[in-house]
Amino acid sequence: MKDSLSLLARLPAHPDSRCWFLAWDPSGTLLASCGGDRSIRIWGKEGDGWVCKSVLGEGHQRTIRKVAWSPCGSYLASASFDATTCIWKKSQDEFECVTTLEGHENEVKSVSWAPSGSLLATCSRDKSVWVWEVDEEDEYECVSVLNAHTQDVKHVVWHPNQELLASASYDDTVKLYREEEDDWVCCATLEGHESTVWSLAFDQSGERLASCSDDKTVRIWHQYKPGNEQGVVCSGADPSWKCICTLSGFHTRTIYDVAWCRLTGALATACGDDAIRIFEEEPLSTPQQPTFALTAHAPRAHSQDVNCVAWNPKEPGLLASCSDDGEMAFWKYQRPEVC
Amino acid sequence: MEAAASASDMFDAIVMAEERFHGEGYQEGYAEGSHVGVIEGRRYGALHGAKIGSEIGYYLGFALTWQRLLHRSAKEKPSKKTKALESLIGMIQKYPYEDPTYDKLHEDLEKIRGKFKQVCSLLNIQSDFRLNPERSALTF
Repeated sequence: MKDSLSLLARLPAHPDSRCWFLAWDPSGTLLASCGGDRSIRIWGKEGDGWVCKSVLGEGHQRTIRKVAWSPCGSYLASASFDATTCIWKKSQDEFECVTTLEGHENEVKSVSWAPSGSLLATCSRDKSVWVWEVDEEDEYECVSVLNAHTQDVKHVVWHPNQELLASASYDDTVKLYREEEDDWVCCATLEGHESTVWSLAFDQSGERLASCSDDKTVRIWHQYKPGNEQGVVCSGADPSWKCICTLSGFHTRTIYDVAWCRLTGALATACGDDAIRIFEEEPLSTPQQPTFALTAHAPRAHSQDVNCVAWNPKEPGLLASCSDDGEMAFWKYQRPEVC
Repeated sequence: MEAAASASDMFDAIVMAEERFHGEGYQEGYAEGSHVGVIEGRRYGALHGAKIGSEIGYYLGFALTWQRLLHRSAKEKPSKKTKALESLIGMIQKYPYEDPTYDKLHEDLEKIRGKFKQVCSLLNIQSDFRLNPERSALTF
């Protein structure tokens, strides 16, 4: 197990600041990082090393908390504590801020593009989740403001192939939203975490959702459609989500991020105890009651809180992580031999 | 026998006096407290209800004004702005002011607030309505 996660490179991504979040572009060749220094950096591989290709510095007045690539890879959205979200357009290796989305009352905590690329979601400390629609002329219009959470909303993420949106909040819940007659509605509330839910990740199929929390656990939720074989009750046509697995006892502090590899199915976590952990579903466990095994553990992956883990979308086992220490690291994960 | 019984009653009365007065005091206090509580609750409820009422009234006036303004200048099919305004007006008209026991009162209020924010965003204007009383744009 010791060698299943090996360090490839370590870089001072946002020196003297916090590095908050990382996002791979859809082709897996570029990595965007953002931090407390109010800048976004774009990284690319040259030879054996990673180099900074561009710095996007002039967009925000305060910390940039999260970044997200559009599915086509031509746009980058950045969510900032200055209450705005910037949309950057990529042309060659240059990035230009084409739109600034305003509306949130205070810190924007997360941003995410829908798989179609025509919808964008943002969330904020103002407890709301906003859904934006993009037209061909790069014009953004707000299609809904959702006030379903009772506290700060930490993270938003779209389902990999449906127009289903998930949000995680300081109110300890996860909420799911779908479109209904020109508006968006909250269609499910996932309750179970005992403290702030920090991040979410869908698996490749979108049937499962992983959530990580301040309660030091990861929960795996499974989608049950109406009329499912297992007899899980659904209200109307909406699927119901049930927690089928809780990973507890592995983490010693808040888990800030969770990433589900779309290629290998491995689940990585970023924890406040400075460690990165990888879990895999046990091959013989039953799909409705799966068990996950810890297959890799890097105890001092960073010198401070690990804020984010991100699997490369094209290269299996390539993982990037970043931390409060301002650094970013690249790791190679190899599934350990079954003994 | 009779003398013994009345003697024990007398002793009982003395021994149990504290408990009895405590009980009576509790009853009187409870009645008094309930009465005062109801008055206070009513006052608070009226105040809170008035706040919600003025907030929603503001949204309705805002929405109706903008609906007129947009209607005059556009004759084509309903835009996203008009639809959102209509939806906001519809939500406000359906809001049950008369029924404080309606269990979705706050949930629906949050939805109205969200719709109002969306309308502001679509109209590209910043609302000066604040829930915070110190910064309230409404003064009566």
